[in-house]
Amino acid sequence: MADLSVELAGWKLSYPTMTCSGTCGYAFEYADFMDLSKLGAFVTKSITREERPGNEPSRIVETRAGMLNAIGLANVGLDRFLAEKVPLLKKMPCPVAVNVAGHSFEDYVQTCAAMNGLSCLSAVELNVSCPNVKDGLTFGTHPGRLKELTAQVKKVLPDKKLIVKLSPNVEDITATARAAVEGGADILSLVNTFTAMAVDIHRRRPRLANVTGGLSGPAIKPIAVHLVSRVYRGVAKNAGVPIIGMGGIQYWQDAVEFILAGASAVAVGTALFVDPAAPVRICEGLAQYLDKYKIGRLTDLVGALELPGDEPRKTPYA
Amino acid sequence: MNQKQRQQVQATVLENRQLCREHYRLVLGVADFAQTEPGQFIQVSCRPVEREDEISDDLQWDQQGRPEVCGEELAGRMALLRRPFSLAGRKQTADGVELHLIHRVVGVGTQWLSDLAVGERVGVLGPLGNRFELPRPDGMAILVGGGVGIPPMLYLAQRLAGRKAVAFCGALTRDLLPMTLLEGGTAGRVDAVEPLLNVEEFSRHGIPAVISTDDGSFGFRGFVTQALERYLDANAQAMAEAAIYTCGPEGMMKRVAEVAASRGIECQVAVERAMACGMGTCQSCVIRVRKPDPAVPPMAGKDWCYRLACTDGPVFKGSDLLW
Repeated sequence: MADLSVELAGWKLSYPTMTCSGTCGYAFEYADFMDLSKLGAFVTKSITREERPGNEPSRIVETRAGMLNAIGLANVGLDRFLAEKVPLLKKMPCPVAVNVAGHSFEDYVQTCAAMNGLSCLSAVELNVSCPNVKDGLTFGTHPGRLKELTAQVKKVLPDKKLIVKLSPNVEDITATARAAVEGGADILSLVNTFTAMAVDIHRRRPRLANVTGGLSGPAIKPIAVHLVSRVYRGVAKNAGVPIIGMGGIQYWQDAVEFILAGASAVAVGTALFVDPAAPVRICEGLAQYLDKYKIGRLTDLVGALELPGDEPRKTPYA
Repeated sequence: MNQKQRQQVQATVLENRQLCREHYRLVLGVADFAQTEPGQFIQVSCRPVEREDEISDDLQWDQQGRPEVCGEELAGRMALLRRPFSLAGRKQTADGVELHLIHRVVGVGTQWLSDLAVGERVGVLGPLGNRFELPRPDGMAILVGGGVGIPPMLYLAQRLAGRKAVAFCGALTRDLLPMTLLEGGTAGRVDAVEPLLNVEEFSRHGIPAVISTDDGSFGFRGFVTQALERYLDANAQAMAEAAIYTCGPEGMMKRVAEVAASRGIECQVAVERAMACGMGTCQSCVIRVRKPDPAVPPMAGKDWCYRLACTDGPVFKGSDLLW
């Protein structure tokens, strides 16, 4: 049986599949459907300093091979997270990362500082796809600002791995990836959802109350694979920073694409809504795939995509 | 927390029958299923269960071969997310459990369901959501369903068999009523609100019904809420321990809740919302609910908060909802 374990900047995971923030709740929501000990890691919903009720409904709409969401970071806020969710997370049978969002530098720093002391957490993932309330500019789309945010947060998280989740809504994702790495990110995760819109042609209005939302699901997978490949080759490989690939992963074949493109681990989001056991099933498929091609370790597959101009491999299986 | 009260299973289509112009009855058979209650729902995957990720023996890398051109993203016009349906009934048989659904064809998901043949397999996840609280033992249960909101009333009727109950069901017109109407029992008067044993799904449980159609093509002519009001006015003395249960279009349920509140009758409302997960993770099916104490979180300082139709509902107290 092939070795599926991975190590992300020293963070050891028994399996390469994680959950995407915002699609799996706070802790045990899917426990009836999946053996959580078979998850590489669990990533919580975004936590903000203050509790957030979220956007007006309607918050989701299904589109072809995908869905748009505009939840608005609805979450219990830091205080209730510490009081109500951390006791649950302490019982999780797999490594846990908390996702943190904010609307100012202080928001992020204060929330992350509170996370550093929690022994139930291995890592903190930064959701940088939020606008800064001060000037409305998104943290994750301006390399200078992203580097500054990453650096500030890194200082208060000496005991946790820092994952920066990159937004695809940028001109050049290698620029933001580089900024996050320079700011001190241990791990990059990509990609977050694509800003998109769906229209009710009879009412001549957007289908989402928020007008725009984030597109996810199989529809975005080819773009996400491309962006992982670009970040891997342009930034991450040389910097030695591992990538968690995400964006439309539903089956093990999708995961293989991301891993070949350069992801060291993968995360499943929208597909959890369809099949809450998807991460475990994907692992089973990955194991069979590796066995079939006599690849001993999953890590041997990371970035093994052969592009034109690359040194040809001796065998297709190596 | 880890008791498996919910499950993901493959069901077999036992019956798929068109009930009226737009509604279908789908009976799904499973070997076993967790305990279910009226008001609860299941999430149905409206696409073939054949997995696209199975490893086949012909999975071989062919250096001379062409690259695979087909991928999941080429799936075309097919539902990605599951669709939530309230249970219209449940039956224990020698072979297992029958889950009864009644759905209206409104899009790609329900269209796919309506085309299923007996014997085909369907992915089912559940049971999800809370339940209707049954009335006090000698209290009267008043069931009010509108259109595609009628199905959960049928399951509730099943559970209420032998108790004091009356059902009110309404639709635009006769052939949008997803029920078995017994001709012989119609009063023939478009202004009558006398409950009759003229709907097979209710009468088999001994529950009389008042049917209304907006155009008078069957039963009372007018809205089901008008029929309800008229009935309550005529039977006010019998309503002391009564409880009203309703599901249907938003405007209808709002009116039912108002009618109940004005008469001091308890009212339970089953809402419908678009949702992805059905388990509280996607946070999309929010509904505004009154908060008795604004100081208490969530949303301290406000006299309302969002609740999730999937896990806090779908059944809410009519008096709690902010319409």
